[in-house]
Amino acid sequence: MITANRKMQSITLSQKKRRSIKGQNTYVLYLFLVPAIVLTLIFAYLPMFSNYIAFLDYDFNKGWFGFGSKFVGLDNFKKFLNDPKFYTLIGRTLLYSTTMMIATFPAPLILALMLNELRGDRFKKIVQTTSYIPHFVSWVTVAGLFYMFLTVDATGIVNNIRQLFDPDATRISYMQDAKNFLPVLLISEIWKETGWGTILYLAALTGIDPQQYEAAQVDGASRFQRLLYITLPGLVPTMCILLIFSLSGLLATNFDQVFNMQNKMIRLDTDTIGVYTYYQGLVSGQYSYSAAVGLFQGIISFILIMLTNATTKRLSNVGII
Amino acid sequence: MKVRIRSVHGKNNIKRKPSERIFDFFNAFIMIVWGLISIYPFWYILVMSFNTGADAAAGPIWLFPRVFTLENYAFVFQYDRLQSAFIVTTLRCIIGPVLSVFVTMLAAYALSKRFLLGRKTLLFFFMMPMFIGGTIISNYVVIAKLGLLNNFLVYVLPGAFGFFAMIIMRTHIEQLPEELHESATIDGAGYVRIFFQIILPLSMPVIAAFSFFAVVGNWLDYYTNLLYVTDRNLSTLQFVLYEIINRAEASSLIDFTKTTDAAQRRLMSMANNTVPTPEVIKMTVMVVVTFPLLFIYPFFQKYFVKGMLTGAVKA
Repeated sequence: MITANRKMQSITLSQKKRRSIKGQNTYVLYLFLVPAIVLTLIFAYLPMFSNYIAFLDYDFNKGWFGFGSKFVGLDNFKKFLNDPKFYTLIGRTLLYSTTMMIATFPAPLILALMLNELRGDRFKKIVQTTSYIPHFVSWVTVAGLFYMFLTVDATGIVNNIRQLFDPDATRISYMQDAKNFLPVLLISEIWKETGWGTILYLAALTGIDPQQYEAAQVDGASRFQRLLYITLPGLVPTMCILLIFSLSGLLATNFDQVFNMQNKMIRLDTDTIGVYTYYQGLVSGQYSYSAAVGLFQGIISFILIMLTNATTKRLSNVGII
Repeated sequence: MKVRIRSVHGKNNIKRKPSERIFDFFNAFIMIVWGLISIYPFWYILVMSFNTGADAAAGPIWLFPRVFTLENYAFVFQYDRLQSAFIVTTLRCIIGPVLSVFVTMLAAYALSKRFLLGRKTLLFFFMMPMFIGGTIISNYVVIAKLGLLNNFLVYVLPGAFGFFAMIIMRTHIEQLPEELHESATIDGAGYVRIFFQIILPLSMPVIAAFSFFAVVGNWLDYYTNLLYVTDRNLSTLQFVLYEIINRAEASSLIDFTKTTDAAQRRLMSMANNTVPTPEVIKMTVMVVVTFPLLFIYPFFQKYFVKGMLTGAVKA
């Protein structure tokens, strides 16, 4: 009886929702949408369509979106594919992004689980709040901090610590060696974003039914077993969504991060596709060529996001589309 | 709803096994270390910004300033580019979020109406750019052709509408009781009035969370400046910091002799041996650019956690 009543209620509610205000035209609602539509058209769809310049020999001064420029078909793509740099760039970008993904994906999960096991709500809260802080600084600042801590100067904390243990150690300028670039990217990403990344996991943890834990405790499950069989499965949907998003960036490194961490000495040995596009296009002015490089990257990202979405949807019924 | 990590184990300590105690101890220890690692760099730049340059170069400093001075700040605050950048950044941190809240809320309200014709199509229209977008070059070409290069509007317009934010707001509006809407209609209120007098006031928690994220985004963004703005009068704080860190800008900041005031200050500090070095100048600017956000963030924490949750529940 009660359920029937509820059903009735929900039916009338949904019917009401469908009805518009009597005597008022819904055109007002369309007016509400105008700013959003205009902004999306200009700042999202126009750039999307002007990817077209990748197929032109684009001359910036000849009319809107290259109407006066010569059509060259796939020449720009061919140029990129024949560029000896192509394989180095793709290889390096893949190396950086896969390593980053493998190393940074589990970090927030682990931190969230450790936070979850902490005793004392106040203590948890404080650790949580402090671990969010690095998220609120820019990559410019983070790069500045890393340079400062890794120099040979007196501010180079890493060298200072090394010399505490071994006074004879020679001070090393870490940032001048391209070999150290990937570790620096990893450490800075983990330092900056791990704490922030726990938010969604912690939110998902509040959604797990406490009765499950109580029942498990009664059945004699150990703490580790509870973690393995209750907590982790509860986090799987969140993990899937985050995984889709991170996989879509497989061929894209964080421009802000790489760009700021580079310096003149190691730039050519640490360029990724994103940064290369910026220097080729906006610094050297080869618009069409770098548009082709960027488009290439965009298409691969799109394919990746669709593939992962389809896979996770089939495996666990979680998807973003 | 608060993100409170529910304690999954009983409070009583007597039941804990020795192995659990050891685990708890190490877990707490690691968490403390993690917390310290998260904040130590900020403490360090703060300490360095209060230390004299010559002394900072002499040897490692760990926890407290060795030779205290306020001279670094005196030099930094006199730097005219930093002043103008501060104004530009503050302006975009106010105008950007306000504009953004308006555009996004209006769209969210309209799309929360299920009877709206073409609602699905519109949603698809807004969602598409999330998957296929422009590249850095095509964006640049569009911005340039629109005449937005070296224009303040480039800071606030392109990011004014966000799909994700819109979905979160829409979810929130859909959760508001329908009766409010009905009684307002009976009283003769139209959509515009309902939006401004009912929907907006009731959405304040979500708006607060969203505005906070918008302020953070605007404050931290230097990419827009790097790509589209070469006019030095329109530089943002992050960009000035970028220049100071990466170029010889820091030394030019110390070496200003444009005004007599500044020249006098320089002479005075030379006498006291407190002339800042580029190193401490960098850190002082870093403090000035970074700390304002760190101070307002804890006050907004409960709002943004709530805002994130509304979105997470939906997803």
